[in-house]
Amino acid sequence: MSMLFINSIIGGVFAGGLCGAVGALCSRLRLMTMAFSMAHAALAGSALALALGADMTSLAMLFAIMTAIMLGPLADYLGTSLDLISMTLFSLYNALTFIFIISTPGPALMTESIGQLLWGSILAIRPTYIAYLLTASIIIIAFLATFWGKISSILFDIRLAEAEGVNVKTYKYAILLIAGATITLALRITGGFLVFSLLYVPAAASLQLKASMKGIIALSWIIGSASASIGLAMSFLYDLPAGSCITIAALILMAMASAYSKLEASLAPGRW
Amino acid sequence: MEENLGCYAIELEDVSTYYYGEKRPAIRDITLRIPARVLVLIVGPNGAGKTTLLETILGLLRPRSGRVITLGYEIPRMASKARALSSYLPQDFMKSPAEPFTAREVVAMGLASNTPTGRLLEGNLRRVDHALKMLGMLEYADRPFGKLSGGQQQKVLLARAIAREPKLLLLDEPFSAIDQETRSYITSEIFPRLLENGCTILLVSHELNHSYMDADIVIRMVDGRIERVITRDVHAIH
Ligand SMILES: Nc1ncnc2c1ncn2[C@@H]1O[C@H](COP(=O)(O)OP(=O)(O)OP(=O)(O)O)[C@@H](O)[C@H]1O
Ligand SMILES: [Mg+2]
Repeated sequence: MSMLFINSIIGGVFAGGLCGAVGALCSRLRLMTMAFSMAHAALAGSALALALGADMTSLAMLFAIMTAIMLGPLADYLGTSLDLISMTLFSLYNALTFIFIISTPGPALMTESIGQLLWGSILAIRPTYIAYLLTASIIIIAFLATFWGKISSILFDIRLAEAEGVNVKTYKYAILLIAGATITLALRITGGFLVFSLLYVPAAASLQLKASMKGIIALSWIIGSASASIGLAMSFLYDLPAGSCITIAALILMAMASAYSKLEASLAPGRW
Repeated sequence: MEENLGCYAIELEDVSTYYYGEKRPAIRDITLRIPARVLVLIVGPNGAGKTTLLETILGLLRPRSGRVITLGYEIPRMASKARALSSYLPQDFMKSPAEPFTAREVVAMGLASNTPTGRLLEGNLRRVDHALKMLGMLEYADRPFGKLSGGQQQKVLLARAIAREPKLLLLDEPFSAIDQETRSYITSEIFPRLLENGCTILLVSHELNHSYMDADIVIRMVDGRIERVITRDVHAIH
């Protein structure tokens, strides 16, 4: 088996797991639309990097994190909901993405890098990339393990946590920063349009399975890992876009989780 | 260190709080001093500003004008210190049936809030179970919160509030789902013990029909203002 294939599987395990876990946290905290808009910010940032010939990961990260920092105050300032601002920015980022792509020097539309940007590629998975993923995974697991008492309080009821003196804002921004970094990293293999599916689908799938909160986060990690590594393997074997394969794998796993939970409910005593 | 040595648990001076974008204040020009170790009953019709008053005291809502000092800490500047010493039972406490945290986990969160990282020690865990037991919820400790009845959910949150051993207990309609028997147990057994330990209790209720309640002070709010203060042998000052 080639090194690229093995790297893809390892990269998938970490990138998918990170996305799944971050997605579970964001969906609990109702930050999903915010994560959605961050994903498209990262896409616009990468597209700009392509047009300028700059480093894609840095600009993507910058855009995503700027969005995370900006969204709350902007919503407060304009007096509208976070969701509304997120969706507005999402439109803006997509508009910018296409402008940046067209402005890319050379015969833009069919180049390898544009493909990688839009639908992801296993070619992104290099040893340094895996090292980044590993670092991010260690950081998020350490963060969750160390501060679980407070994080769980915020996940249960953010206002009550605040009333008890938990510094809710700091934790929320920490989670958003982690989300920004995760999205930026995962974007390389899923592409800009499908990174959100890797955040959303594993979290949604795990919610269908009865589990504790820790269980839901762990299941999201596992389902995300499985989706990404199965998807990347399919992409490698059939030469299909990585992002598409990952999304389809995630949706199949979600359907299986759904079917399992239905089956379990129908087998439970007291039902007919 | 920065704790006020004055004898008031709560001091409000000309406090008005507006909700975002509203032209009318939800509470207006409230001046109130509440001494420590008393039970205060706050009554008034829907929309009178009772919840707003509680949330202003904790700094969850920022007053547009006036001065708030809670447990000696200026709000909102020192709100986190005051909050660490307080417990709050919100009016809308119900969670969805899918809520996965167990009753015990929910109570433990109340103690986690007051530790540096949120990690609990053995003694904390005993306190969690003790609080659950006091409210008759120990046998449900491992049940997911979402799978409890409304009254049971309210009892678990009350256990969380009490487990924190607060100096200030803010209860917003704490008995809205709780049966008569538990209600009188709480008012006759749990409240006196808290007061003895130096806790000040503010209890919000729609109407003054709690004949069982030995309130030291009754505050009646109407339309964002304090309409009347009835004091029973303590020197509370309106
Ligand atoms: N989120 C909000 N946004 C705008 N106005 C609000 C909001 N919450 C409450 N208000 C207004 O503030 C006033 C006081 O409300 P508050 O919730 O404090 O009343 P309350 O005394 O607790 O009533 P209830 O007995 O129904 O709980 C009301 O006029 C209400 O309409
Ligand atoms: Mg109210």
